[in-house]
Amino acid sequence: MISLHNITPIDDRTLEQFGFGWHTDSDQSKYIADELVVVSDREAEAYYEAVNKLYDMYAAAAQHVIDNNLFFDLGIPFNLIDVIKKSWENDVHWHLYGRFDLAGGIDGAPIKLIEFNADTPTSLFETAILQWALLKHNGMDEERQFNNIYEAISDNFRRLVTLFDDPAEFEKHYDGWKILFSSISGNLEEEQTVRLLQQMAIDAGFETGFEPLGGVKFDDEGIYDSAEEPYEYWFKLYPWEEIAIEEPELATQLTTIMQNQKAIILNPAYTLLFQSKGMMKILCDLFPDSPYLLKTSFEPLKGIQQVEKRMFGREGANVKIMDVSGNVTESNEGPYGNFKPIYQEYVEFPKDSNGHSYQAGVFFAYEACGLGFRRGGKILGNMSKFVGHLLC
Amino acid sequence: MKHITSVKHMMMGTMGVVVLSALSGCQSAPEEQAGSEESVTQNKFLVVEQQPNGKYIIIEEMPTTGPSRAIIKETDENGTVSERVMSEAEMKELADQEYKKMEEGKSELNAEPQGEGMGLAGTILAAAGGALLGNMIGNALMNNKNVQRHQDASNRSAYHRSSAGGSNSATSNSQKKSFFGNSASRSTSSSSSFGG
Repeated sequence: MISLHNITPIDDRTLEQFGFGWHTDSDQSKYIADELVVVSDREAEAYYEAVNKLYDMYAAAAQHVIDNNLFFDLGIPFNLIDVIKKSWENDVHWHLYGRFDLAGGIDGAPIKLIEFNADTPTSLFETAILQWALLKHNGMDEERQFNNIYEAISDNFRRLVTLFDDPAEFEKHYDGWKILFSSISGNLEEEQTVRLLQQMAIDAGFETGFEPLGGVKFDDEGIYDSAEEPYEYWFKLYPWEEIAIEEPELATQLTTIMQNQKAIILNPAYTLLFQSKGMMKILCDLFPDSPYLLKTSFEPLKGIQQVEKRMFGREGANVKIMDVSGNVTESNEGPYGNFKPIYQEYVEFPKDSNGHSYQAGVFFAYEACGLGFRRGGKILGNMSKFVGHLLC
Repeated sequence: MKHITSVKHMMMGTMGVVVLSALSGCQSAPEEQAGSEESVTQNKFLVVEQQPNGKYIIIEEMPTTGPSRAIIKETDENGTVSERVMSEAEMKELADQEYKKMEEGKSELNAEPQGEGMGLAGTILAAAGGALLGNMIGNALMNNKNVQRHQDASNRSAYHRSSAGGSNSATSNSQKKSFFGNSASRSTSSSSSFGG
């Protein structure tokens, strides 16, 4: 059972003052819970260890996919295969951050991987900033939270330059390279997520710029803002598979830019391999004894309760829960039905006394660096709530 | 084996200051750095931390459109850490006292720094003197080499460290293309979302 600690919420106006404007969902309910999940130090350590281990497994699985040309199995668009391989070959294409979604981890329930949001994870502002602000607002000890995200991502920005060396060496090696940050215009949550990342990069010591996606310019020589200022790095909160399908000419252009070594794109193209839910089947093949994996297949599983998901589905869309006989007991519609399905063994999320389910989200930036929770029904969709945590 | 790390606001960089500023009741959130002339008198939000040797350093500094404020983090003899918010009036009083000492040649800001850290009044005067005491004093402090050396030695904030970087002149090339035409127009619908 999830144990909750009541807190006084931060009023909307104050939230907006520090850039958090998406505090109210479309049904007028509050997006941020006025409770914190109580987590023991041991449980937090277990999340940390699980996610570090899972990342290593993903890296090994990506190598396996590339070596054995399994891109089709993972639903990877053909026009991204070159950029994926290219980005995988060179460490300068550094993975900035990702978020593992997990079941279990509370009250002795084993931690199980639900999926890895490796390319365009959100919930960043909530987990890195807001849940810490809730501790400060309530006069609680700010150190009683597994949350080192801000510093971890800032350090990972420095590693774009220092790679495996100490990120403290950044200033010695930095030569004014600039990062352009982009999100779709008109979506406050995504723009603020990107602006938070931009602030982390500024604090790390980078020169930066922001340009909505529609204003970014490209040619064979590089990537530019609307004033045609060139940038050495481009961070886009826009999925690689959407580029492949909706903007195929751009996919070709980005391949050329990478081949010419004119710019580095973040998160790197290989994170699309991690993002594909098909990778969880590859992980099961490679690590059949891992305690963190749920049985996953490209075909319906026989005789067990399971969940059908789409390779690149998001926020609980196009998800079906099926009972042992294959009857659908719960489902969500969505726009991702054209992607191939995968089938994953069903697992219950930990619940609170009201029967709400909790999914842990653990951010990874070089190592596991912060924990937050989503609260909702059996399928956690985009109306689920964010719940911070407290170490007790 | 490494272990989980928790948060401290010193590790939260600029965003930590923005949040603390909002939570402490500043009327408006800090804004981006203004031009250099205005920045002399720009109100400041400071996070000041006492070091084991009793001296103070600036951990974070942000310009703000609200009144100047400071969060002072101090450690007593027993190692207990306390935090307090200092109002603009209190900051002004300290800065004023220190500036008078400077004029009499009795302030540590008159001499070159002897390492990191200063007294609290000197720390606040050096970082926010212009905002608290006005443009003329702000310019005088900005042009005083010893004050600037103290700032360099005792101000760890990204705001202070960041200096205007040179920018490459933009190249003009009619071949450059933009994309996301369809996605950009979709963006007016609140349902479009590309995060996950």
